[in-house]
Amino acid sequence: MTTETTETRPDAAEQRPPVEVRYAEELARLAAWDAERSAELPPGWRLSPRAVRAFVVGDDQRGVSRKFYGDDPLVDRAVVALMGRQGLMLVGEPGTAKSMLSELLSAAVSGTSTLTVQGTAATTEDHVRYSWNYALLVSEGPTERSLVPSPVMTGMRAGSLVRFEEITRCAPEIQDTLVSILSEKQLMVPELGPDAREAARPGFNVIATANLKDRGVHEMSAALKRRFSFETVAPVRDRNFEIELVERQLTAELGTANDRPAVPRDVLEVLVTVFQELRSGTTRDGAPVKRPETVMSTAEAVNVAVAASLEARYLGDGRVTAAEVARQVAGVALKGDEEDARRLRHYVDNVVRERARKDKGWKAFFDAAEVLWR
Amino acid sequence: MEGVLRRGRGAVAVSTETVAATGLRDVWTLAPDRLRRAATAVESLREQGVYLAPVRHHSPACAIAVRRAIEELRPAVVLIEGPEEYTHLLPELLHEQTRPPVALLSLPDGPGTQSTPGTQSPPGGPSRSGGASFYPLASFSPEWVALRAAHEAGAEIRFCDRPAADRVRSAAPEAGAVPATAPPEAARHPAVAPAETTDADPFARTLMSERYLAHSRSVAALARRLGCRDHDEVWDHLFETRSPADLASWRTTFDDVFAWAALSRLDYEDEVLAADGSLDREARMSARTAEAAGLLPAPAGTPSGRAAPQGPAAGDPAPGVPAAETPVPDQSGEGTPPTRGPVLVVTGAFHTLAIAEALAGLPEGEPVRRQWPDGGYGPQATGDAWLIRYDHERLDGLRGYGAGMPSPGYYERLYGAHLGGGRRDSGPHPDDSPAHAVATQVLVDIARAAADRGHRVSTPQVAAASVAASRLADLRMRSTPGRTDVLDAVTSCFVTDDGGIGPERPLGLAVAEVFGGGGTGRVPDGGAVPPLVRDARDRVIAVGLDIDTTLPRTARLDARRTPTHRARRQVLALLDLIDCGFGRQLSGPDHVAGRGLGLIGEEWEYCWTPVVEARLVELSHLGATVEAAAVTVLRQSEERLRADGAPAAADGAAELVARAAVVGLTAQLPRLVGLLARTLDTDRDLASVVTAGRRLLGLWRSRVELGLVPSATAGGAAQPPVPEDGRTPVPDQVAVPDQGPADDLLSLVAQALATAAYLVSDAGRAGPEDEEAAVASLLELHALVRDANRAWAARGVDRAGGTNRAGVAGPAGDTGRGVPPDGAAGPASAVARELARLRDDEESAPAVRGALLAIGSVDGDVPDDALVARVRGALRPGADPASAVRFLGGVLRAAPDLLLYTPELFDAVDGAIRDLSPDAFLAVLPDLRRGFTWLRPTETHRLAERVAERTGSRAADVDVRVRLDEKDLALGLAVERELAAVLARDGLAHWNGGNA
Repeated sequence: MTTETTETRPDAAEQRPPVEVRYAEELARLAAWDAERSAELPPGWRLSPRAVRAFVVGDDQRGVSRKFYGDDPLVDRAVVALMGRQGLMLVGEPGTAKSMLSELLSAAVSGTSTLTVQGTAATTEDHVRYSWNYALLVSEGPTERSLVPSPVMTGMRAGSLVRFEEITRCAPEIQDTLVSILSEKQLMVPELGPDAREAARPGFNVIATANLKDRGVHEMSAALKRRFSFETVAPVRDRNFEIELVERQLTAELGTANDRPAVPRDVLEVLVTVFQELRSGTTRDGAPVKRPETVMSTAEAVNVAVAASLEARYLGDGRVTAAEVARQVAGVALKGDEEDARRLRHYVDNVVRERARKDKGWKAFFDAAEVLWR
Repeated sequence: MEGVLRRGRGAVAVSTETVAATGLRDVWTLAPDRLRRAATAVESLREQGVYLAPVRHHSPACAIAVRRAIEELRPAVVLIEGPEEYTHLLPELLHEQTRPPVALLSLPDGPGTQSTPGTQSPPGGPSRSGGASFYPLASFSPEWVALRAAHEAGAEIRFCDRPAADRVRSAAPEAGAVPATAPPEAARHPAVAPAETTDADPFARTLMSERYLAHSRSVAALARRLGCRDHDEVWDHLFETRSPADLASWRTTFDDVFAWAALSRLDYEDEVLAADGSLDREARMSARTAEAAGLLPAPAGTPSGRAAPQGPAAGDPAPGVPAAETPVPDQSGEGTPPTRGPVLVVTGAFHTLAIAEALAGLPEGEPVRRQWPDGGYGPQATGDAWLIRYDHERLDGLRGYGAGMPSPGYYERLYGAHLGGGRRDSGPHPDDSPAHAVATQVLVDIARAAADRGHRVSTPQVAAASVAASRLADLRMRSTPGRTDVLDAVTSCFVTDDGGIGPERPLGLAVAEVFGGGGTGRVPDGGAVPPLVRDARDRVIAVGLDIDTTLPRTARLDARRTPTHRARRQVLALLDLIDCGFGRQLSGPDHVAGRGLGLIGEEWEYCWTPVVEARLVELSHLGATVEAAAVTVLRQSEERLRADGAPAAADGAAELVARAAVVGLTAQLPRLVGLLARTLDTDRDLASVVTAGRRLLGLWRSRVELGLVPSATAGGAAQPPVPEDGRTPVPDQVAVPDQGPADDLLSLVAQALATAAYLVSDAGRAGPEDEEAAVASLLELHALVRDANRAWAARGVDRAGGTNRAGVAGPAGDTGRGVPPDGAAGPASAVARELARLRDDEESAPAVRGALLAIGSVDGDVPDDALVARVRGALRPGADPASAVRFLGGVLRAAPDLLLYTPELFDAVDGAIRDLSPDAFLAVLPDLRRGFTWLRPTETHRLAERVAERTGSRAADVDVRVRLDEKDLALGLAVERELAAVLARDGLAHWNGGNA
């Protein structure tokens, strides 16, 4: 569900190397900078808070690229939150680069972004605590050797940041496994004996990402909420940045612009404009529009672009126009919700109709939409 | 020579390490020569006893430095940036009863004389509401502190800026001259949140506006470099987070402030600064400084003269280099000579560079020196000004008044802490500093205020926030937490969901309360009469209303035809709006409520009593003129509307539009129209949207008498908006190539229709209880569409007379006949579409379906046979009688006469009612009765005739008023039923009339 920015074309060896590999050089430079000014590192951290910040938002002087756009104060707050006792909870709509931010922070703070629990409806306690190698368990009984630590446990041992993706997709009971881990910073392993426990080393903390509004997510208990600092990651606001994101994802899904149906720039603009306006509830001229319930995220915009491309390839003439976009917005993004369809009608009646008079792209969108959404 | 430079760099480095240092170093590389020279000039001026104190208005940091400087220098004269005529208010300012926040208030000359009755709606009319200017002073304002400290030190105090009246006079061209101020787009499309609302709101016109700093490119670049989000944070970062001890080294502080402001000064060309009067003001301030310090061959009376007026002060302006060769002998170390001593000049830092350059005779000072008049400025200007109380709300830059720094509540605490800390003195325990204590205290108070509003914050959260604030400060390389650090700590630690602080949520309100502060100032008793009273009286007299008696008088007005009456009506309505108890309307058209619009005459009762005057005095903080006060009242209502976030707010907003239009505040209309445009779209209530639409249409119809149409039709008015990015122009959908506010109203009607189209289907889901309201709204909507179409047609005619641009409008969503311009067809046809959809939707509420069907039939959209078939279907045997009657009720409500003129319909209804079982009939009877009440008496009579004809009795027997109540009827029916049962039992059912 999340939009991850693929920085480089996937090379032959690995489709998508983790952040700490991709930016190893920058991380090393920042570590050297810390050493040079003998900056104080929080216990268990690989970099100083300032260096972590620089890694995420970039620092021209040290040749560190900007990787997260938009809300710099949010990055500051996230860095500071990770120094505290509480975990960091990044919430927001899909496609707001929450996961990317959590990846960047873990790579910078702990040097690894791979200690990750992927939350799904099927996540069990074992994924959060530990499980067993059953062959060894049968032959040796519960021993250190037969125990299979979860990423969380590994992170506790190593004093690393652990990422918990999409935590609200897990059942509340499973989520709550974290409560005692976060408050006591230790994990009991009764199978190994009454006193057996795994204590967290300094540097251990959890970055969770969650979506509170999407359908199919669970509530979060108050006990768990108290153990996290919440940060809301806002959707991408910069139009050009979003167009770029969509284009990149399109390439990731369907291959380079040569292999897939061409999506002209003006069509992308129509697409992203529609999404941004419906998402924010205002047009770019400041006039208000109705916001649909459905999350109009960048991820959904990508889905629409992909579906429109496929339609153009297999049903159309191989060129994506705004008409395909209009048809797909209804199907892909709106999920057949009657209320939302009304909101879109309102948008078409009120905003698109005007634009259609002056602009061919919008005209195509309007003509397709009007037939479809009557 | 290098003093300022060196110190500037050093001091910044102390507090903010490398990043900040690189930031300020850039300043010097931007224009090194000019700044170096100016820095030298500042130094050499000090040697001559002239101390320039550059400040940021309402900055506690600067206040500390100013106080310290005065205490140390014990200057003979303190000059303060502020209109010269304020000098004569010093007794009131320094009065022991005076408590900040207060403000000095200036008005344009003779406001009363300008508002003559005939000119009630000059479209631009800047001098009337926009003319008042305010000079606010908070306890932590450097100017306030300078006043107090100078007084304590026995210095002579003078304000030295251009008189407010001059400033107002030059303000009118300013709006056009400085492009950054008001992009024409903003003016035309109210929906594009008016970026700069200065002209509308007198409070915005403070004399301490810092537009330049906010818009400076260099400051923006510095903010990016320092990782600050805006210029306020840059300022905090560089200055407010310094320790009181650091700040008290005033030379360093002033030098750094000087560098900071000079940086943004360099972004503006002399032409821009000349156009808005900056150079003119700086000329006066520098000349006054020179006079006070004796740098110029001194004008006769000034050195000691407390009351400057004597002597025309005929100094030789000598624009060339007077500074260097006349060193002032005495220095601060000497024992306070009574007449001569250092001169301290407290001005906004933005002006300091220019003043220094002018005084030192540098070439860059030439544009300012050129403005020095031959023969000097003469005696201090005089003029009317008033000291009034002010409040934190208006001080707050964040609340849109643009008066300097944001969050006065926060900075007042900070200043208090500085003072306390400074007194206790200088134990530099890093985490124990007063600023830390302020941060924690603020966090505690926010937690408490949030808890009061239902957002609980636990003590560990507060503790965590306090730690977070310090760590954020550390991360951002500040020695102590600043305002944004505290805010971020709140965001980080107090929020436990994905909603953020949220301006409307409990936490957001708590933050606003604590950061904004709630203080109100105090002025000494027995001050001068506030101008609002005078203005109100002038205005009332000007339109010929009698105020000599305290007995109520009645005015009979014909506003539609008599302009003088129109003016009177406007004044009465204006005073009514601010609720000062002067007059009230007895009869006549009420444009706000939309009642009695057809009436020609109106009656008002009015009376100028002492109570009215007292009330006006009470209201004087609202504004200096009646209009300004009315604007404030409107704004308050606006705020309330926003705060309520009511689901049915559109009509509230429409009412505001109406109020503004009725009292002639046409200048307010674009903003209110914008508000309404936004509100319309969030409104979830069809009734409110439709009522709003009707109200607007009513206003539009009364446009002539309300003065909403420019008398001369706009000839070659504005070009269509030019797209900013060179791409296809995409006009705002509610914008019309306009010819005055009237057109905006029509566009809003179009928008209301679009919104209504969206909401129509909600009406279909109405339950039995709210069904009637839903039908009423739909009928209103139907009427609105009809009236709107007429209005558009009428406007089309209007336009056809003048230059016609409507024809260019091109293909809208055609509905064939009389397509209105500007895409109005869209909303109207969308409404029609939605209504038709609802009509044909079997799920819709029965009454709604019935009503829409009837409308459709009347409009000719539904053929008679379809109508009859649908009615038959709805009333068919076996249908739920309750629904059937509701359906019938809808039909009757919408078009009762259909029943009379469509025999088949009559038959269907008659049959259906006959077929009802007695129990069912009894059950639906009340609804049925109500349904038939929509018939007019004559129609009832004719219906009765029909029924009589059908049943074979006489109309007079049917159409008769029977004095029976419900109980009697129930009783009678029960008896009848019993009788029928008896007859049936006895095999005599055929006796029972036709109801066998």
